Amino acid sequence: MLLSTVGLEVRQIQALYVDHHTWLYGWLRRKLGNACDAADLAQDTFLRLMVSRCLQGHLGREPRALLTHIARGLVVDHWRRQDVERAYLEALAQMPPAEVPSPEARLAILEALYHIETMLRSLPVRTRQIFLLAQLDGLTYREIAERQGTSLITVKRHMRTAFTACLALA
Amino acid sequence: MAGRQVNGQAGWDDAAGTDQDIMNEAVGWLVLLQSGEATDQDRAALSRWRGRSQAHMAAWARVEGILDVFQKIPPRIGHATLSRLQSSERRRMLRLALSALVVPACGLALGAVPWREWTADYRTDTGERRVIQLADGTRLVLDTASAVDVAFTAGERRLTLLSGEIFVTTGRDPSPTPRPFIVQTAQGALRPLGTRFTVRKDDDAVRAAVFEGAVEIRPAGSNRAFVLRAGERTAFTAEEFGPAMTVENGADLWERGMLLVRDMPLGDLVAELARYHRGVLRCDPSVAGLAVSGAFPVADTKASLDLLEKTLPLRIGKVTPYWITVTAR
Repeated sequence: MLLSTVGLEVRQIQALYVDHHTWLYGWLRRKLGNACDAADLAQDTFLRLMVSRCLQGHLGREPRALLTHIARGLVVDHWRRQDVERAYLEALAQMPPAEVPSPEARLAILEALYHIETMLRSLPVRTRQIFLLAQLDGLTYREIAERQGTSLITVKRHMRTAFTACLALA
Repeated sequence: MAGRQVNGQAGWDDAAGTDQDIMNEAVGWLVLLQSGEATDQDRAALSRWRGRSQAHMAAWARVEGILDVFQKIPPRIGHATLSRLQSSERRRMLRLALSALVVPACGLALGAVPWREWTADYRTDTGERRVIQLADGTRLVLDTASAVDVAFTAGERRLTLLSGEIFVTTGRDPSPTPRPFIVQTAQGALRPLGTRFTVRKDDDAVRAAVFEGAVEIRPAGSNRAFVLRAGERTAFTAEEFGPAMTVENGADLWERGMLLVRDMPLGDLVAELARYHRGVLRCDPSVAGLAVSGAFPVADTKASLDLLEKTLPLRIGKVTPYWITVTAR
């Protein structure tokens, strides 16, 4: 069960879908409180399962355990996206009117913010701070070191950590 | 410093490295460039480095892609958004960890007297898991090395968690006047409202996760209560709550003896497996950061370690069957 690398046949996928889709959709709807998002995420859950042999290896005798495992990950991503959006809208609301980006630019900025949040999520707070001072504000490493009361070498170490995390997801 | 190392490796004649090497070198170049210390020679060397292979060019394109993402964001909006997101969670957790240093008086009374555990109505050994059906239909699963007292009276149904972790699925009380159900810990009491949840007693705090329904938590040293809802988990001490966070994927699978992890650091996974292992199980710090995904039968240390050894570049060293170390291969 654990290391099975045999891919699922179409017939098996169909059977899984027939047996569990309605149930999974109901589960997601309770979780999200929204039928539309629930339908999307239920679809995404099966899609993930179909394309990933690694996940299929964990199917076992209780497919619903794996389906909820995948679906939960998608729900978490969905909520994170909403969190970013909410924080972004709050930030926009507090900007002086002259600094609020045009409606066309807003969506692109939101996507970029979501991307950045994903890349930086796993980093320690301090590494994030130091990294953002360089990437967003364009401070030099020396300026950052002075501002943070630390050495240039430490600043570089944080940058390496952050860039490595970003590249892993780029 | 990192950039200098890269310089040394970046001559024309070097054989192209692995993807990982190339990525590490790209990061080194990037830091050197951004630091403002790069000389014209460095820049020329970088341009040669990029031309060494398709893989080098592709790596640099990824680097530029990342820098582009940041260019798209007006600085003030970026900071305002990200600092809102930046976990107030983490700060609160830190406070929680600090507050746990001050051991509450009632914590001492319950926590520091090991003999109490022997009077427990139910207990499990290390590596054991036990399912118990209580008189009111409540299903109780004891995880490894756990102990719990059960006291059902006319007025209440009380479980006292003495050590380890329990998974509770409350039953419908058959008595004519419904009695409150309470899980007592040294740090405070939890009151489920018809539900499935876990309670774990760690050294510094009590951790709870709710899978269905809701649980009301009352820390021993506080008058405030806090309701944890389905899909949430938290940690609390006698004085303080941590933030409510999302329950991890598959967290309730341990009820069936499985631990499902996604990108968990190997060190954390080994620490989790060690809870079920009789003896010493430790992870070498050099591999503790490896990200692991998979389903592990926790109570079967051997099967879990075999799986790790097959899927990651690891060696499982056994000094004795009881003393096991996980190191790089």
